[in-house]
Amino acid sequence: MSVIDIKGLHKSFGDMHVLKGIDLTVEPGEVVVIIGPSGSGKSTLLRCINFLEFPDEGEIHVNGELIDPKKTNLDKVRQHMGMVFQQFQLFPHKNVLHNITIAPIEVKGLPHKKANAIARDLLEKVGLPDREKAWPSELSGGQKQRVAIARALAMDPDIMLFDEVTSALDPELVNEVLQVMQELAAGGMTMVVVTHEMGFAREMADRVVMMADGMIVEQGTPEQMFDGPQEERTQTFLGQVL
Amino acid sequence: MTILNVVKEHFWGFLAATGMTLQLTAVSLVLAVVIGLLFAFLKLSKNRAANIFADAYIGLTRGMPLIVQLMFLYFGISSILVLSPFWAGSLALAFHAGGYVAEILRGAIQNTDSGQTEAARSLGMSRFKAMRLIVLPQAFRRAIPPLGNQFIIGLKDSTLVAYLGVPELFSKAMTAAAANYQPFETYLVAGTYYLVLVMIFTWMVNKLEKRLTPHRQEATL
Repeated sequence: MSVIDIKGLHKSFGDMHVLKGIDLTVEPGEVVVIIGPSGSGKSTLLRCINFLEFPDEGEIHVNGELIDPKKTNLDKVRQHMGMVFQQFQLFPHKNVLHNITIAPIEVKGLPHKKANAIARDLLEKVGLPDREKAWPSELSGGQKQRVAIARALAMDPDIMLFDEVTSALDPELVNEVLQVMQELAAGGMTMVVVTHEMGFAREMADRVVMMADGMIVEQGTPEQMFDGPQEERTQTFLGQVL
Repeated sequence: MTILNVVKEHFWGFLAATGMTLQLTAVSLVLAVVIGLLFAFLKLSKNRAANIFADAYIGLTRGMPLIVQLMFLYFGISSILVLSPFWAGSLALAFHAGGYVAEILRGAIQNTDSGQTEAARSLGMSRFKAMRLIVLPQAFRRAIPPLGNQFIIGLKDSTLVAYLGVPELFSKAMTAAAANYQPFETYLVAGTYYLVLVMIFTWMVNKLEKRLTPHRQEATL
């Protein structure tokens, strides 16, 4: 059963028709990387998957269940989806440990002890075992983003959504974040990644999806997409970024 | 030195009356924050009727002189509901300050990055939990300087309750000045009490702001 199954998804903001009929499935353990020019609707698509934006038209199935944003308990749906944002969005009034434990404690009702253990384990994983008492403002961008990944993972999600998570980082900090994502992917996590990092797409993607003007132009394995793209839009785009 | 005589004669009496002033201020400001928060939410609500209701309240409290609201609440309401001068005064002060507090809190909530709410919701938090655990703590911290300002105004506004017969500091000063025929000295002494109160209060607000600002955190980045 697909983790995500999207059919005929449309989304507009006012007069702007941002998504014009998207069909996309994501299988368990799959790493899907979405590429494409700015304004092509990549981020909107990602935000529709966890219903931060409500689709205007179309169906989204999560783990086989059709989600109706008006009827389904979206809090429950989102508990099983981690999301990492371009601007980190750590909670500035909580230290690193509390940033990670707040959702497991408040949403899942885990005891503090258990949540702390999970958080420490994850901090170890993202390479920040000694920063649990730090405030977000004391961290570098790369460290913030790694904490944000740990925070999402603490809910033990079925799928992780990454929304241009390295775009706000200084170039020398990009790799430490990509490395964490690579380890996650290698560990079998289902991931949908919107990125401009073509190196990551080529190395880690099971499938690369090219979007332009609110539509999926082409998709395939990294080899198919990078070595022999069929569509002109893909060729032009890759010509510009590679 | 007549002023020393005034001090000698009224030091303890004024201090006791200061206690009443502080009670009035504390009760009215706590209520004002509760009222203010309620109306901030009504104003932020997507419900049109709630917006209009909140606008009407804020417009009324900000649009009429406090002394008029005090008289109205004390003499107007007490014809239906019997209120002691203290409670009539506290409620009127709270009702008045609540409009200002509502606008302060609404602004602070609105200025919290919407990305913070999204991050909270993406972790599975309900709208209510995201507000309580993520947005409000940040909004309150940001609102401390304007709230502190409003509280200082509230403290000084409490003088008007003297006209309802509450034995607070200013009413004691009026009585003393009428008895000793030394209004200049008497009001100077009473004014100094208020000045010291405001200074202590300002110091406390600054302390609180520092305490709630771990490492001068910036909002989101």
